[in-house]
Amino acid sequence: MSVYTKSYRRPSQGRRWLSLALQYLCMVLILVIMLFPFFWLIASSLKSPEDLEALPPVWWPAHPAFSSYRTVFEVTPFARAILNSLIVTVSSTVGILLTSIMAGYVFAKHQFRGKNAIFVCVLATMMVPQFVMLIPLYRMMAALHLDNTYPGLILPNLANGFGIFLMRQFIAGIPDELLEAARLDGASEWTLLWRVVVPLLRPAAAALVLFAFVFQWNNFLWPLSIVYSPEMSTVVLSLNGLRTYTSSVTFANIVMAGTAIGILPSVLLTLWAQRYFIEGISLTGIKG
Amino acid sequence: MIQRQRSLIRSRSLATVGFLSPGLGLLIVFVAVPILLTAWISLHQGSMAIPYSRMRWVGLKNYATVFEQPIFRTALLNVFLYSLANLVIILPLAILLGLFLYQARIYGRNLLRTVLFLPYMIPTVAVAIVWGYLYEPQYGPLNEILTWLHLPPQGWLGSVHEAMLSLVILNVWQTLGYYVVMVVAGLTEIPQEYYEAASLDGAGWWRRHWYITLPLLRRTLAFVFVILTINTLQVFDPVYVLTQGSPVNSTDVAAYEMYITAFNYGQAGQASAMAMIMLAIVLVLSLFQLRLFRSL
Repeated sequence: MSVYTKSYRRPSQGRRWLSLALQYLCMVLILVIMLFPFFWLIASSLKSPEDLEALPPVWWPAHPAFSSYRTVFEVTPFARAILNSLIVTVSSTVGILLTSIMAGYVFAKHQFRGKNAIFVCVLATMMVPQFVMLIPLYRMMAALHLDNTYPGLILPNLANGFGIFLMRQFIAGIPDELLEAARLDGASEWTLLWRVVVPLLRPAAAALVLFAFVFQWNNFLWPLSIVYSPEMSTVVLSLNGLRTYTSSVTFANIVMAGTAIGILPSVLLTLWAQRYFIEGISLTGIKG
Repeated sequence: MIQRQRSLIRSRSLATVGFLSPGLGLLIVFVAVPILLTAWISLHQGSMAIPYSRMRWVGLKNYATVFEQPIFRTALLNVFLYSLANLVIILPLAILLGLFLYQARIYGRNLLRTVLFLPYMIPTVAVAIVWGYLYEPQYGPLNEILTWLHLPPQGWLGSVHEAMLSLVILNVWQTLGYYVVMVVAGLTEIPQEYYEAASLDGAGWWRRHWYITLPLLRRTLAFVFVILTINTLQVFDPVYVLTQGSPVNSTDVAAYEMYITAFNYGQAGQASAMAMIMLAIVLVLSLFQLRLFRSL
């Protein structure tokens, strides 16, 4: 700011306070709206059946009870569902990370005929709704007897256009001179990728791992289509099952307890690493 | 020397192929081939289990059948309305909140950003479950709050007129933060000097943002617009969890109709026709939008 603007229009002390107060008011209002569903989730999970049926509704139970967090493990194989979700999510996250780094590196740093056309096709896969592939994928897995199995849940989710795009965007920012120097030292493309590129990629890889983990953990349509026995159910699938079978409002505490546990990994990861998420969104958003 | 160069180039093109094939191979097997197969099934009479070789060719009959069914036309119309309502609400809110997050000089901005963004990362099924209880007409808190404000209680998901809007509000709550983050990223790219120059010329808040922010933000906004359209046109989870298309098909959407046609009625041919129609709509709309924004 130049001296000129300062003297030109400087808001009075009173107006500054008013504007500040308005800004805080806005912020509190947004926070309340955004946090209210989370509050209701936790409050309901701690209520007794009587609290849940009370009219007008009870906002916070007089005697918070944690028993529904135990009950949810008794009424469904919820521990197994957590294990299933972990197995499926971790495997596909590792797969996405590896395939995206390798393909992203080639798209960023190698030259070959048809590269741009292929890259556009990869980008185009991001536009295709999941349900367009659903019937053939289901038939494919059923024909291979992979329906209701871990490989069936994992295989279609080992690579995606978003991951390749994200990695390409990051790797394109690595200076070519660095790669050329390593090549002159006789490094093969393989060592170049893992020794030179990947160490520089840590924040990007973190963003991709977190995105992939959260989206696989949250996936609903695919498990819904190929899982048919409770032992193979994922967490999200179990939540839907809980809600369907206990439509009475008096069981809301159990459903909400399950939901609270089911969102926990996503919430913790987001809080722990939101910087990476936001970098990831910004990078794919601006340069997209 | 030339020998060495040549072997280097060969090893590099080997690496090109080797590094690309896992990712591209998976995308071909699990995305490209299934799209072609869906197109193939859509032209045949077929159940879910019948082998591809034994399907009977029916040409475009499935497409005709699908369009003749009032239920699919309703589902298409509903998903368009859903998408449009989300656009109309989210786009201005994302710009305003983005500006607020970017400009406000207050403590707790990072907290606000985190809280806005958080719902986007949790399962939509979980969001739907929680909102289902919030909307509960008798025991839910929303109607209770309306009563405090001396407003009449609403039917929410149980009402033919409000069910779709209820799903829209749920989606706005869940995804707004994602678009706000995109807008903030776009705002950081605008040089501050423009605003200072405009202030010097005496431009007020509205004029500054109308003539500087909006035009310079148009690439970001185009991106938000396209992603928002693509995401909302494939809405499935909240409909499946909360309403199953009810009441009176008012929340029936294309993805849900396609899913039950395939998995509940076993009509793979018709369901594939629906999927191809949606794919065409999504592609045409997003390419049209991208082109439109590029020409601006």
